[in-house]
Amino acid sequence: MSKKLSQALDTSRPVAVIDVGSSAIRMVILEVSSDGRYKTLDRAQRPVRLGQDVFSDKVIQRQTISQAIQILAGFRELMNGWAILEPDVYTIATSAIREARNRDTFLDRVYMKTGLRIRVIEGVEENHLTFIAVQYAVESMQASFSRSNSLIIEVGGGSIELMVLKRGKMAATHSLKMGTIRIERQMVPRSGETSLPLEEYIREHFRVTMEGIQTETKLGTVRYFVMVGGDARIVAGHIGTKGGDTFWTLSRGDFLAFVQKIQAYTVDQIVKKLGVAYHEAEGLLPALMVHKVFLEETEAETIIIPNVSIREGVLLRYALGKDKKMNDQFISQVLSSARSLGKKFHFDEDHAELVSDLSMQIFDQLEVEHGMGKRERLFLQVAGLLHDIGYFVSASGHHKHGQYILMNSELFGLSRNDIKIVANLIRYHRNSKPNSTHLEFTTLARDERLMVLKLSGILRVADALDRSHTQHVKTIVLEIRDEDLVISTTCTGDLSMERYGIESKSELFEEVFGFRVVLEQKKFLGVQ
Amino acid sequence: MAAKTQASRFFNRELSWIAFNRRVLEEAKRPEKPLLERLKFLTIVSANFDEFYMVRMASLKRQVRAGNYTTCPSHMSPQSQLDACSRESKEIMSEQYRCLHEEILPGLAEQGLIYKDSYNQLSTDQKNYARTFFENQVFPLLTPVRVNKDAPSIPGANLRLQVAFLVVPASDSLLITEEEKGEHLAIVQVPQSLERICFLPDKEGQRTFILLESLLVQYGHTLFPGYEIKEHLVFRTTRDADFGVDETRDEDFVEAMEQVLTGREKSTAVRLNVGSTSTRLQELLQKSLSLDSTEVYDTPEPLELTSLMSLTFINGYDKLKFEGWSPMEPRGLPEDAPLWQTLRERDILLHHPFESFNPVIRMVEEAATDTAVLAIKMTLYRTSGNSPIVRALETAAHNGKQVTVLVELKARFDEQRNISWADRLEQAGVIVVYGIAQIKVHAKALLVIRQETTGICRYLHMATGNYNDKTAKLYTDMGLMTSREDLCYEAGLFFNAITGYSAIPSLNKLIMAPQGMKLRILELIDREAEKSIPENPGKIIAKFNSLADVDVIEALYRASSKGVEIELNIRGICMLVPGVKGQSENIRVTSIIDRYLEHTRAFYFKNGGDEELYLSSADWMPRNLERRVELLFPIEDPDLKERVKRSLTLCVDDRVQSYALESNGTYPRVKDSKGKGISSQRTRYELSRDTPTKRTPINQREFSVRRKPPLS
Repeated sequence: MSKKLSQALDTSRPVAVIDVGSSAIRMVILEVSSDGRYKTLDRAQRPVRLGQDVFSDKVIQRQTISQAIQILAGFRELMNGWAILEPDVYTIATSAIREARNRDTFLDRVYMKTGLRIRVIEGVEENHLTFIAVQYAVESMQASFSRSNSLIIEVGGGSIELMVLKRGKMAATHSLKMGTIRIERQMVPRSGETSLPLEEYIREHFRVTMEGIQTETKLGTVRYFVMVGGDARIVAGHIGTKGGDTFWTLSRGDFLAFVQKIQAYTVDQIVKKLGVAYHEAEGLLPALMVHKVFLEETEAETIIIPNVSIREGVLLRYALGKDKKMNDQFISQVLSSARSLGKKFHFDEDHAELVSDLSMQIFDQLEVEHGMGKRERLFLQVAGLLHDIGYFVSASGHHKHGQYILMNSELFGLSRNDIKIVANLIRYHRNSKPNSTHLEFTTLARDERLMVLKLSGILRVADALDRSHTQHVKTIVLEIRDEDLVISTTCTGDLSMERYGIESKSELFEEVFGFRVVLEQKKFLGVQ
Repeated sequence: MAAKTQASRFFNRELSWIAFNRRVLEEAKRPEKPLLERLKFLTIVSANFDEFYMVRMASLKRQVRAGNYTTCPSHMSPQSQLDACSRESKEIMSEQYRCLHEEILPGLAEQGLIYKDSYNQLSTDQKNYARTFFENQVFPLLTPVRVNKDAPSIPGANLRLQVAFLVVPASDSLLITEEEKGEHLAIVQVPQSLERICFLPDKEGQRTFILLESLLVQYGHTLFPGYEIKEHLVFRTTRDADFGVDETRDEDFVEAMEQVLTGREKSTAVRLNVGSTSTRLQELLQKSLSLDSTEVYDTPEPLELTSLMSLTFINGYDKLKFEGWSPMEPRGLPEDAPLWQTLRERDILLHHPFESFNPVIRMVEEAATDTAVLAIKMTLYRTSGNSPIVRALETAAHNGKQVTVLVELKARFDEQRNISWADRLEQAGVIVVYGIAQIKVHAKALLVIRQETTGICRYLHMATGNYNDKTAKLYTDMGLMTSREDLCYEAGLFFNAITGYSAIPSLNKLIMAPQGMKLRILELIDREAEKSIPENPGKIIAKFNSLADVDVIEALYRASSKGVEIELNIRGICMLVPGVKGQSENIRVTSIIDRYLEHTRAFYFKNGGDEELYLSSADWMPRNLERRVELLFPIEDPDLKERVKRSLTLCVDDRVQSYALESNGTYPRVKDSKGKGISSQRTRYELSRDTPTKRTPINQREFSVRRKPPLS
């Protein structure tokens, strides 16, 4: 490499992000500068019916695989013209590949033919990446966001991602397996049936889901409706007002009028009149209908369409490390999402917050002993908040109910596997210890099983410290004396319940960490 | 009433084309023009007709066979079009030969350039020379083909001169066997590898020439020893070249294309030009080619005029030619400054051939050897033989650049040549895309991607004409060089689409056909109509080569009726009927025929005062707007806008080389009543010459920079 080139790389470099989606494979080449900004250099996309295959037959057809490989090989060639270094190539796949039964074969064939390693990302991560990109794009509106509630919605071919923000904080996330391709597939009338008009069909389709979402988050208070995705960008390109380089705004009325107008068009007319590609035109109307159905659940007058996609999210998170910078913010979004879930299941908020907090005090003071990091800390913190949500079903066996509820819920920023770990913590916050007959536990990776043991050990102790649900013990100091871990508190009240709790619930802790747990009441805290 | 209105709404496309060729002939007939230039126009008339017959007449003929259904907006059936075209072209042809024989050839003879149409007119010296020349140079190249005289199959030989000989055994021949007795038919092709014009020894200051076919007729008997020539006939067939390649063959498209080329040699004949030496042979040929009598053209000598073009290139005789206009160094593009630096500072407009094409070649050549260049992307539709651009692209690939070239194999009559470069480029490691199924890529764009210290920077050239350094000296065209990010970015997307990396993108700045261009043109015209008010009428000036799109024409009629002043400067076909009250009274159509072929596609829209100017690779024809990949791009730099607008105004104001279309379809020459009117090509030349900063014409030779790449 010439000297000139390497110098240039210090200041800026091109990065490629490829996204294997359910209706198309898309690539964007961005120039990233050292100040963390980026500029789009090039983009390409070609339609491929991965979603059609997977959502109907669960497998990607042989022909579709070849087609995808051909497209990716082309992208690879295009990339070569930009002199992109291998670590700067990010390839992700979303719902279609995620759900394909032959996904491993697919990934392997792509790798063998193109050298591209595809990372299959989960719905929740998809959510997270979109969120990062949206935040970046609407940075200049951050102040407005933090004053009111907003809904971020991305309608894809295979899934719909929803994020509800209360005063800028994540209140709820939903990843609905109801993309436009699935809708189209189901719309095809079976013999003897007549098909409903698209709008009615979609309304019908979302009725139950919508009720569920409404109970958790009142969409009525949403002021800003943020639409993400290619379909939304087509609308923005036609009737949006530029709000800087990175997003458009649009009034509710204009959007509804636009949707009404194109409802009368055939796909061919959409291609001609809007100047879009055929594959984009096909999914446009169903996608806009979904946007419309959700928009009408809100009172939002302003629609914001960020000029970003999940690809920019990938760039920001992986290539620019925005994730690290936003870590604190990310954690608070995750916790806020957990609190929303807790509220949905009527948790004892004071108890939950305290257990979570006490877990943190133990975790932080024992850092040398357990050697775990930020990710594990977050799991424990979330588990502390949600450990009792099983009470919603019944007190007896509430740890199992809690596990079940969490396994079937979504938390912003946590992957399916992350959730499985947290659900295990809930499962083991009381009663029996993990054993080889517990499927949800044994199917975790080895290091994750160990993590569950350690974290649930801590969680049990923290829970025991508020056995009475009266929040007597608030601040604790831990001290290791020989074989004992002494937990000191200045609390002067009756702690008999808590002492009993410690006795009955610290067994796991003792097994894992090798200390006997002792509770002491003191006038002053501090090691003597 | 309705029918009548309908009839005057559109001119027939073919007849409009013939009117264009008639204008070319008009230029040949102008006594004030230099003789060799007039001869050149005469030969162009013939060359134009050749293509017209191979493509348009062939297509009409097929339509007649397919049922003669009328689809033409002028409501003429294919048969009546065919009849009218053949009638008119015969008329033009006879006028063409009249001009040649009565004016040009006698005039040239006066100047010492003498054409002898028969061997008998030669002096003894000349005859001796001719004989030796024939024996040594011509004879070895001849291959007589014997054909069945009762049902002869005529060799393909599209557009080539051939001579048919009817021979019988000589009375004194002893070697002839029984079955060889009687008449035999042989056909000999006039060799293509030799100059058709054969100069003979002559006295000082005089040059005499005879044509190869005359020698062949004279010495033809030497080809058939033992036989006598009973009759002979010089003839030339024109065949259908208007058939497409099998578009389903993606895998072996090059091979499929080669088959088309072979097919063209053997396809249906559409025209037979014959001399007058043998009625019998003429009838025989006509029958065997299945032509009816209207398709046989009794042609005076010389039977074919296009190869007389080479006379216009012979040295000397300068006073019989136009004064030479050297291409100037384009404004604002200093040769000693790095091209990239200049382009970062400003956009450059190139107006060929008044301004040199060298900067375009320079852009590819500099990119090829520049270490900072990562990639070069380019379309090639027609380019010259041994093109410096093709060579530079090869060099670039050898230097490790990523070079992506779309070679349009389907560029009619350039297919063979394009296959050979494509092959060369591919061997050099260039990524070659052999066009797109079903449509031709006619857009002209060149994109260079550089890795600079500040990041990636791109440089773009887009033009109205081909990347052909030869035709850039003969055709008027415009090109834009720019480093504007929005244009470069969208040009990148355009390349991704045409090279198959991407589906067709939606673009904002660039307008692409077949997606969106027609729609945008209609919008631009309709917008002009909407904004037009009596106090501030709209205005459109459009210059291009053909107007045949009915929707666009209707939009222009609508705009005219809203008071928009419309100036169309169209070199060739125009189906719009101007000057009809209530339809097109505000539309004026002019056409320039001058020393350079007008080829620029430029558009001006007043837009209520916020003027917009565009250049394009596309004419306003359905084939350009709907079946080709084309580009329309804005000119945004205020100075350049002014220059394009000025050039457009000059064209519509031309009073010397201009013809104005009337509502009856004729094109009388625009009267220059005071004799002071401008010739737009001369003025455009003078403008480039007299630009204060640049006076020196640059060297006309191509230059190729040989130096080490610049160090950083």
